[in-house]
Amino acid sequence: MSEKYKFDTLSLHAGHVPDKETGSRAVPIYQTTSYVFNDTDEAAALYNMEVGGHLYTRISNPTISVLEQRLAALDGGVSCIACASGMAAMHLVISAICSSGDHIVASNKMYGANINLLQHTMPRFGIETDFVNPNNLDEIKKAIKKNTKLVFGEVIGNPGLDVMDIPSVAEICKENNVPLVIDATFNTPYLMKPIDYGANIIIHSLTKWLGGHGIAIGGAIINGGNFDWSNKKKFSTISGPHFALDGISFWEEFGPSALTSKIRAEGMYNFGPTLSPMNAFHILQGIETLPLRMKKHMENTNELIKFLSEHEAVSWVKHPSLDSHPDYGIAKKILPKGAGSVIVFGVKGGREAGKNFIESVQLSSHLANVGDAKTLLIHPGSTTHSHLNSEAMRSAGLTDDLIRLSVGLEDVDDIKKDFEIGLKSVLKSR
Amino acid sequence: MYLKFKNIETFISTGGKKLNSNQPTICFIHGAGQNHFSFVQQIRYFASRGFNAIAPDFPGHGFSKGKCNSSIEDDAIWLSELLQEIGINEFVIAGHSQGCLTAIEFNKLSLKSLKGIIFIAGSAKIPVNDFLIEKAKNEPEKAYKLMVTWGHGKHGSFSISEFPGHHHLGEGFKVMEMNHKSALINDLSSCNKYEKGLDELKNINLDCLAILAKFDLMTPLKFGKKMVEHINSCECHVLDCGHFLPTEKPKELNKIIYQYLKNLDI
Ligand SMILES: Cc1ncc(COP(=O)(O)O)c(C=O)c1O
Repeated sequence: MSEKYKFDTLSLHAGHVPDKETGSRAVPIYQTTSYVFNDTDEAAALYNMEVGGHLYTRISNPTISVLEQRLAALDGGVSCIACASGMAAMHLVISAICSSGDHIVASNKMYGANINLLQHTMPRFGIETDFVNPNNLDEIKKAIKKNTKLVFGEVIGNPGLDVMDIPSVAEICKENNVPLVIDATFNTPYLMKPIDYGANIIIHSLTKWLGGHGIAIGGAIINGGNFDWSNKKKFSTISGPHFALDGISFWEEFGPSALTSKIRAEGMYNFGPTLSPMNAFHILQGIETLPLRMKKHMENTNELIKFLSEHEAVSWVKHPSLDSHPDYGIAKKILPKGAGSVIVFGVKGGREAGKNFIESVQLSSHLANVGDAKTLLIHPGSTTHSHLNSEAMRSAGLTDDLIRLSVGLEDVDDIKKDFEIGLKSVLKSR
Repeated sequence: MYLKFKNIETFISTGGKKLNSNQPTICFIHGAGQNHFSFVQQIRYFASRGFNAIAPDFPGHGFSKGKCNSSIEDDAIWLSELLQEIGINEFVIAGHSQGCLTAIEFNKLSLKSLKGIIFIAGSAKIPVNDFLIEKAKNEPEKAYKLMVTWGHGKHGSFSISEFPGHHHLGEGFKVMEMNHKSALINDLSSCNKYEKGLDELKNINLDCLAILAKFDLMTPLKFGKKMVEHINSCECHVLDCGHFLPTEKPKELNKIIYQYLKNLDI
């Protein structure tokens, strides 16, 4: 979308101008559950979604709306719903589009909870998923069935860093009249806007780089407004009659913003996975510096890729910017500003060496998150997957020695020094 | 609702409600390159307040198929025939932008059941610059972007919306993109050709309402005011927004229109 203002400006301003009453330059935190109606007519209009506005914070809130409107502007969408977490966002999208008996095609190389939700939880509600290699276009094509209601993948997979060929997959989806839903957590709109490449719906875990400081859990759905929901039989939840609101068709009444209108009227209303206004404020503060942070994240990432690749204690390094990565070509094409600030690498000496590395570093934090301003590490072999033997680890796409690094914003020399300490202990343990 | 009109699939937004022949009707007329989604926050509001509220997608626009009309005169005739087809009684028309020209021309058809005319962010003459015409002809998507960016006031550019989570510029662009690619150039050419608007205003013998936008770069306020001056009876309001007034200031607009409809006693 053409914007009057560019990305860095929108990161600071979109969604908010100082309010007339107080002049508050910062976005106010509307810590309230509900809103006084001016009159009964206004109340009726809001309840019936005849006009926009706030009536109860479970459904919408002025601080959260600033965040939503900022994200919609940054990602080039038409509308956005912010919610309690990245997982809540995913569930809201699936439940808005799919019903029992429906089918999903999803990448088999995604964040664990994304896989779990589709593999274990959704089937209990009659929604089945076929998992495919995200870059095997034939496999994706073949997996789409008559009852397939969405195709789901991540731009940069977590933790394998596989890069999905979004333009080609979007083409397949378009041919089959199925929306392409993309988890864009690892790239953020700074590195890449999937809507520009044909994706229809974007999901973010705001907890990660968008919030950027490891202080608030949040999620968002950005609606590209570029999907034709007119097939009433196939997309009855969007274009068929709604159970309330005089039985309207969201597609006929709201057109490009049909999906988010549906989610607002049903998902937020009936499930209530609401973001807290305070967290919306924290995430907004993070987004103000997103362009600066992402630039530095990528500078540090590039330095550390080089450092690790050349280190004698490191057996392998995986990042889509390396030509050894199978998705190097597509990463270069769709992620020209960088393929994210997560690096995975292996240390010589297997599981024990990995454990030693993690326990020796002092500056980097050992924890289960990515996208913080601080450098984060995790060694699945000695933590999340410690109960699995090497073979079981391999079948989960992990190796004993694998370390996942989320590169932070510290002085890169200090990160290197810290890693030197850890890698020295790796060499010792061999 | 969908209907076959002149053998062409035609969509008329009714806010999801069945039309009631005992109720008066307000008919919204969209602007150049727009469609019924311009009035998302008007249709259901009025449809819930004792009116039939309708917004047809003109041919080649929104969900309506068919070849676009090629003049304001054709638009007015098409609309009057459509209204006859769906059989409404007393009604008011509310045009936005190019819809104001259609409304002026529609007045000439002297339908007895027409009880009032509302002009929203428009004027009686809408000349279009050559640059926009050229873009609309050869690169319509660029033209949509230009119009959407110029058309929204400060709040649009800053993505401020009364509808939580909505992004005016993104949404405005997609609304235009839903039309047939020829819709915008047809509409802009129709606007350009229609030069008699100011002269026709003196023939309006109904009490009218104008709601104009202070920061309207598409149909500047001074031209809107000139239109108002040429109408025998026209109440005028100016709102603090850009050209896409129905989505930028929906609540203020609805309140003003509602009061006007009440005063008309239809
Ligand atoms: C790619 C990806 N998507 C979604 C999520 C879930 O986000 P949240 O923790 O905000 O629910 C995560 C969390 O790690 C993630 O990495």
